[in-house]
Amino acid sequence: MAEEAIARGLIAVGAGLAVGLAGIGAGLGESGIGAAAVGATAEDRGFFGLGILFTVIPETIVIFGLVIAFILMFAFH
Amino acid sequence: MLKPERMVKVSVVGPRDHFETVSDILYRLNLIHIEDPVEDEYFKLGEPFEKAGILSKSLVQLRSILSYLKLDPEKFVPKRRYREEEIKAELDRKLEEYRTEIGAKIDRIKELQEKIKALEDELKVIEPLKALGIPPRLLKGYKTIRAFVGFIRADPSPKIQSITSDFEVFLKDYGKEYVVAVFVKVEYAEEVYRVLQELGFREVSVPDIEDYDSRISEINSEISRLKEEIATLEKEIEDLKAREAELMLAIEEYLSMELEKSELPLKSLVSKYAFIIVGYIPARKFNEFKSAVESETGGKVTVEMIEDEEFEPPTKLNNPPGVRNFEILTLTYTTPKYHEIDPTAIMAIFFPIFFGAMLGDVGYGAIITVLCLFLKRIFKTEGWQRLLNIGVYAGIVSIFFGFIYGECFGPFVSVEEGKIEFFKHFLWPILHAIGVHKFEPVFDRVSPMGIKVLLFVTIVVGIFKILWGFILGFYTVLKEHGFKEAMLEKGCWILGVLGLACIIFGFAYNLGVFHYFFGVGPAEGSGIPPLPLPGVVKGWQQGLNFFYLAALPLILIWFVLFVMGEVPKMGAMGVILAVELLTWFGQIVSYARILAIGLSSVYIAFVMNFIGVGLIDPQGMCIPVLGVIVLIIGHLINLILGVLDPGLQSLRLHYVEFFTKFLEGGGVLYKPFGRIKKFLE
Repeated sequence: MAEEAIARGLIAVGAGLAVGLAGIGAGLGESGIGAAAVGATAEDRGFFGLGILFTVIPETIVIFGLVIAFILMFAFH
Repeated sequence: MLKPERMVKVSVVGPRDHFETVSDILYRLNLIHIEDPVEDEYFKLGEPFEKAGILSKSLVQLRSILSYLKLDPEKFVPKRRYREEEIKAELDRKLEEYRTEIGAKIDRIKELQEKIKALEDELKVIEPLKALGIPPRLLKGYKTIRAFVGFIRADPSPKIQSITSDFEVFLKDYGKEYVVAVFVKVEYAEEVYRVLQELGFREVSVPDIEDYDSRISEINSEISRLKEEIATLEKEIEDLKAREAELMLAIEEYLSMELEKSELPLKSLVSKYAFIIVGYIPARKFNEFKSAVESETGGKVTVEMIEDEEFEPPTKLNNPPGVRNFEILTLTYTTPKYHEIDPTAIMAIFFPIFFGAMLGDVGYGAIITVLCLFLKRIFKTEGWQRLLNIGVYAGIVSIFFGFIYGECFGPFVSVEEGKIEFFKHFLWPILHAIGVHKFEPVFDRVSPMGIKVLLFVTIVVGIFKILWGFILGFYTVLKEHGFKEAMLEKGCWILGVLGLACIIFGFAYNLGVFHYFFGVGPAEGSGIPPLPLPGVVKGWQQGLNFFYLAALPLILIWFVLFVMGEVPKMGAMGVILAVELLTWFGQIVSYARILAIGLSSVYIAFVMNFIGVGLIDPQGMCIPVLGVIVLIIGHLINLILGVLDPGLQSLRLHYVEFFTKFLEGGGVLYKPFGRIKKFLE
């Protein structure tokens, strides 16, 4: 029983790490793109839309993290 | 739809004395997209018609006035339009009037502004001297004494003392510096000056005035008089602007049109007696175009269709009115080439659906719809109108999904039984009154099962869209390079992605998803290992199902085709590129963002409601004002996020995951010679 409880807890921790670490990664990725996008927008206002779009591209990584978290929570509980 | 408008290449050939007439006709028809010509032995680029010089001169003058008046032809919405004859009749008189009336006034304003600046500069000199308190006549005009007047960083007395004791220093604090007047004998002047410079001395020239105060008040009254004059002039210009804005812009349009017409020769080839223009027109307009040009020139000018090796027509997107709004989204990514597929119609269907599936909230959807309809009345330019139309569609679809999910400013029903009852709490009495005693959402995406189902559905949508993308890509390559190329380049990926899809389905099958939907396969929690990896998972044989078995040959065929396609191009190392299959896996999973973004927005709304309602609740904190503020600000933030994030992510799902499979882009947009008149009838 205790072992199972520990396993459940570890799964929850794993799910949290999956989302959290992926979030940090995506943030690091976005920081560079965001800065460059702001620079480009300052040069040419027309770039604004495209700039925002580029900035959200690394967000996929968080989605991966989230999916892994879901799979952990649902498939291994 | 899906294909740009069909084009034909045409040539317009005729004698040079008909060139101007043809230019008028072509401009009026607004059909031919002129190709940049290449000179040869007999045919050279033409020169603009004679009138171009005077036209462009008038246009430059008019545009400078327009820019001063901040009249932008792009943004201005005219209340009335003018006929061309009206403009022609008044053109010279009006241009002269603008030159003398507005142009002269603008020049006068500039002159006055310069005067004001000079006076203000003088004031900057006088004020510190006044602070020093020595009358101007005592500050200059000595024969044996040198007077230094100006600004300095520190008191120079000690240093001057070392040169001579026969001196006088007047010092006054003035902001960050001091105002100083130093009097020394002429023979020490040079040495003292050096010392002063060390202390950052800046000399000012003492003006020829009697008295500071009278001069200051004189300057001030002069400045206010000049400012009044400027205001009067500006008022006059403003009146003229209000009265004549439409006419001025109509004249600007007329002149631009005439200038464009007279510059046609720059885009055509001429010989001594003939001219030739080559361009593209929509195929269905060819007969109309040909007969118009030929009949109006009495058959002197001929229009022929050219069947040329070099056939690179411009892209004219061809979509029905509702879909046309989405063209700006496609064009933001790229302009499709003529031979490529125009994905606007597909995007017009899926963009609002993805947006709605992410946001899925009756309240937010309604606000977005109403807001876009309202903004449509303010921003009249075409780009804004299109964008706002997209907003309206997206908002309506969000309302629809809101009913499915049962959400209105957050979850409509309790997330966990009895824990949170937000709108339910307030709405129950109303719902009871109208006879509703039970409310269940059609599909509750916040419940654990809802998350699982939606995750599966989004991934299926992902598989579907990615396969669709590859199929469109296959079609494009097939058209251009034939079956073998298409199979090796795109077809193999279709098989590869199908293999991936089978693996995903196999995994879901073992988790009981198919049991939930169709009642087949193992139920949830049956203990069958989801991933049957031999040697890693205990009892993997149990997990082997139909999908996993189907995936194996698909992946094998894909790999063989891939190696056949890639190795001749890249060498043996090309095999490594097979890793790209994982990219497609990533892109399929990427569609899970439809679930993820939606959930995050639900939970933010949920938290805001929890705090807000808790504050309002008489049995809770009971601070209704604060509660309402929390609710308003919280939902406002969530609404902004709810527009930005689903919008961008939905766009991205198209750009990155879908378009890349079949759209190369880099086409040239169809831009016919002529224009749609805005200020003229």
